Amino acid sequence: MPDTKATLGAVSDEALARRIAGGPPGSSDAEEAELYRRFAPRVRLYGRRHLQNDAASDDLAQDVLLLTIERLRAGEVRRPEEIGSFILGTSRMMAHSERRVARRRVALAAQFMETAATAPPSMAALDVPRLTACLRALAERDRLVVLLTFYADREAPRIAEDLGVSPGAVRVIRHRAMARLRECVLGGARP
Amino acid sequence: MKAPGCERIADADLIDYAAGELSDAEAAAIEDHLFSCADCGARAAELDALLRAIGPAVRSAEVGGFVTEAVLNRLARDGVRVRTYALSPGAVVPCAVWDGDELMALRLHADLDGVSEVTLTHRVAGTEISRVTGEVAASARGEVIYAVPAARVRQLPVVEVEVVLTAHEDSEERPIASYTLVHGGSLGR
Repeated sequence: MPDTKATLGAVSDEALARRIAGGPPGSSDAEEAELYRRFAPRVRLYGRRHLQNDAASDDLAQDVLLLTIERLRAGEVRRPEEIGSFILGTSRMMAHSERRVARRRVALAAQFMETAATAPPSMAALDVPRLTACLRALAERDRLVVLLTFYADREAPRIAEDLGVSPGAVRVIRHRAMARLRECVLGGARP
Repeated sequence: MKAPGCERIADADLIDYAAGELSDAEAAAIEDHLFSCADCGARAAELDALLRAIGPAVRSAEVGGFVTEAVLNRLARDGVRVRTYALSPGAVVPCAVWDGDELMALRLHADLDGVSEVTLTHRVAGTEISRVTGEVAASARGEVIYAVPAARVRQLPVVEVEVVLTAHEDSEERPIASYTLVHGGSLGR
């Protein structure tokens, strides 16, 4: 018996969308969870860029994917081969109409609660205590730039003014620090 | 960062995108590719996981180090309980953390004119126990802020800790100020 998760991992986005669109209700739970796993992080990043709020980004990802699945099930996605574009378009639409999002959230969550609850969170494996240790291991300046950017929501020009360096230098410091964090957390390097 | 497969979006651009620092046109170009590319989607998922964990890690109050007012303000908004000590040069201050404290913030006042980088040294009974070098924020107006996890302070015995600030000038260190924290242990209410 093949591992469903491993098998689905090799399926293209288009095939995944077609399976969800073509199956009877309740027959494509694994495909829907896989679609969520693949695209929720991208929608969250989109939300981070456009909504500047972690909680709102989480909501956006859930809303966009639930609506996408609903549309696929209803046969309303005309071009499953462009499912990524559909999800991006839906992200853009929903991010620009928050009132509508709030109304739909209640209805959709009630309708598809089960799918949302069983969809695997993309960051489940990330070890927060390890990230804490890795943040501590960064050079003081590198850590401060990461904290100011991604915790205190400061933009590069303001950080640059604060630290007496150019905005370009702030970006370089940030790229380097994020690469080190990634290596430390995901690469298994000892902090 | 290492990019698996497609490298059409540079890691640096993805980070700048997440930081909200690309123009609308640049951001739209990244989005158009990101939502149709599995490789870049996988990298986006890694970055998303990393960014989502930063808040919980900082809120755990276990990170510490040099911070600025902006970081302290965000910690306060997040409900992290910070015990603050504002110290003038030469001050001898009784200090302790209380039951609910999560972080200790030392606001070290000093003459920092022309100083862009300082080293903070902790000494106990004349012996150096830690040394860390960091930036002086332009917005700090005559102080550096150093955060210490309260859990770490709780482990200290009753002891006098000397905190020394030095500036870096022409590859030499110049003492700026010192402060004495008379640590009284962990206190309950």
